Amino acid sequence: MKVQKRWIFIFLAPTAILFLLIYTIPLLMTFYTSLFDYRLYPKRFNFIGIANYIDLFTQNKAFTHGFINTVVWILMQCSLHVGLGIILALVLYKKPFGWKFVRASYMIPNIISNATIAMIFLNIFNPSFGVLNSVLKTVGFEEMTRNWLFENKTAFMSVSCIWILFAGYTTTLILAEALSIDMSVIEAAKIDGVTNFQMDLLVVLPLLRRIIATTIIMGASYMLQMFDLIYIATKGGPGTTTTNLPLLLYSVSTSENNYGYANAIGVVIIVLGFLVMLAINGIFKTNDMDY
Amino acid sequence: MKEKIALIAKYVFMLICSLIALFPIVWVIMSSFKTNSEILSNALGFPSSLSLSGYKTALGLAPILRFFLNSVIVSSIATVCNVFILSMSAYVFARMRFRFKNTVFIILSLSMVVPITALLQPVYSIINKLGLDDTRAGLIIVYTAINMPLSLFILRSSFSSIPRSLEEAATIDGAGFFRTFIQVMMPCAKGGIASACVLTFLNSWNEFIFVLLLTKSIKIRTLPLALNYFTSQFSFNYTAMFAAITMAVLPSIIVFVIFQEQVVSSITTGAVKE
Repeated sequence: MKVQKRWIFIFLAPTAILFLLIYTIPLLMTFYTSLFDYRLYPKRFNFIGIANYIDLFTQNKAFTHGFINTVVWILMQCSLHVGLGIILALVLYKKPFGWKFVRASYMIPNIISNATIAMIFLNIFNPSFGVLNSVLKTVGFEEMTRNWLFENKTAFMSVSCIWILFAGYTTTLILAEALSIDMSVIEAAKIDGVTNFQMDLLVVLPLLRRIIATTIIMGASYMLQMFDLIYIATKGGPGTTTTNLPLLLYSVSTSENNYGYANAIGVVIIVLGFLVMLAINGIFKTNDMDY
Repeated sequence: MKEKIALIAKYVFMLICSLIALFPIVWVIMSSFKTNSEILSNALGFPSSLSLSGYKTALGLAPILRFFLNSVIVSSIATVCNVFILSMSAYVFARMRFRFKNTVFIILSLSMVVPITALLQPVYSIINKLGLDDTRAGLIIVYTAINMPLSLFILRSSFSSIPRSLEEAATIDGAGFFRTFIQVMMPCAKGGIASACVLTFLNSWNEFIFVLLLTKSIKIRTLPLALNYFTSQFSFNYTAMFAAITMAVLPSIIVFVIFQEQVVSSITTGAVKE
């Protein structure tokens, strides 16, 4: 029995060390140093209470913008993006001709790195040779062409398009769940004479509730941490129109070296994430059973 | 009639979804064969010849192969470390009984709800303090850690589903704790191990923010950073830029097409375990 105890310890140790190093200590440091005026150059570490937070929420326009953008993007991802995934999964689960091809091709933008997707869209939205302006010119809407990613009016929507439309991951997850639905439930509904549309809406969709909640949580956490796509496409610009919390955190800690302030933004991200998860769990009551 | 319209609408929708996913990539590949002036004058047209000069220029301008190799090294080592380390702890959580087991597991599960991006600055400081900034080891440690929660959940449920009689038989045959784990339990959990490998590798391969933050030199940086580095190098050589993007995406697409079923099932297992 003694021997086994030692093995348990040895088996858990690497995971525990990694967890302490990359999660626990950084988490404590984030909360603790957010209460300090903490910089490397010039070296400073003075307790200032919640002054960083007060400054964030009352003085900092970029933060206000980034905070609103983050929340809007979370809402858009949870509704439009997941909605698109649900609709496509409901189309594909009846296995129409070519369903596997559609699933696979729709997955590709989610498999390749965000860095390359952002580069591709930087070119698609390019004002001189981009696809979008070329198409508009060809069909005769010359006056609609613009510099999509770098004009105040269109930047936000254009950047959002880079991820909102690609719901391959979400589709795959919901589709897998839909394909595993007990056929007897569907047969029973058919005998009761429901139409295809009623079937999807009233029988299949409620059974997918839990996986939909999962994809919404994944979508929210994805947008809470979105960095690479925006960083490469617009760097948050023009001005602060497409910035978000991770981008601000990154720039405050790397270019301003203002670590305490950056970590206050980190705390805001953590708390916002926690509230969003609570809200989603509350709405979906994910603990209920189906049968 | 109504059914016919519904049917057509269904296929049109499927077609659009495939098109918005495939068209951007096809356009990039097509553009990589065009000349600069063709790109500027006729963005939507087909290339006039299949010239590979863009690829030659791209490879000459920037060390893409170096970046590619770095990605292979970092992602593979991180995947092996992650899956081995978490197999050990997942096995213990699935099978052993010890004090505070549930408490420890719940604390570890919290890593799932912490957005790692929020911890950017402290993680950077710690890697610096360890003297691992701008090294592969630093990146590997971070990648091993950020894929921890997902692997832990997948592997624990995989070990839990193995019948206990197998272990008992191994013990009766005189196999010790470690041998039972390596020779009996690991092979039985290979479904979960494969899923954890696929997800960890994919996440490490595509990871961006930590390479950007923790590394500086071309010797260490991985593929996602390669293109970022290109934007300035290629500012006016569009053919080479499109060739570089093509080279960055094609390996992922080819691997995905070959292992499609495995990737899809890994993603599904990963989500259900959450």
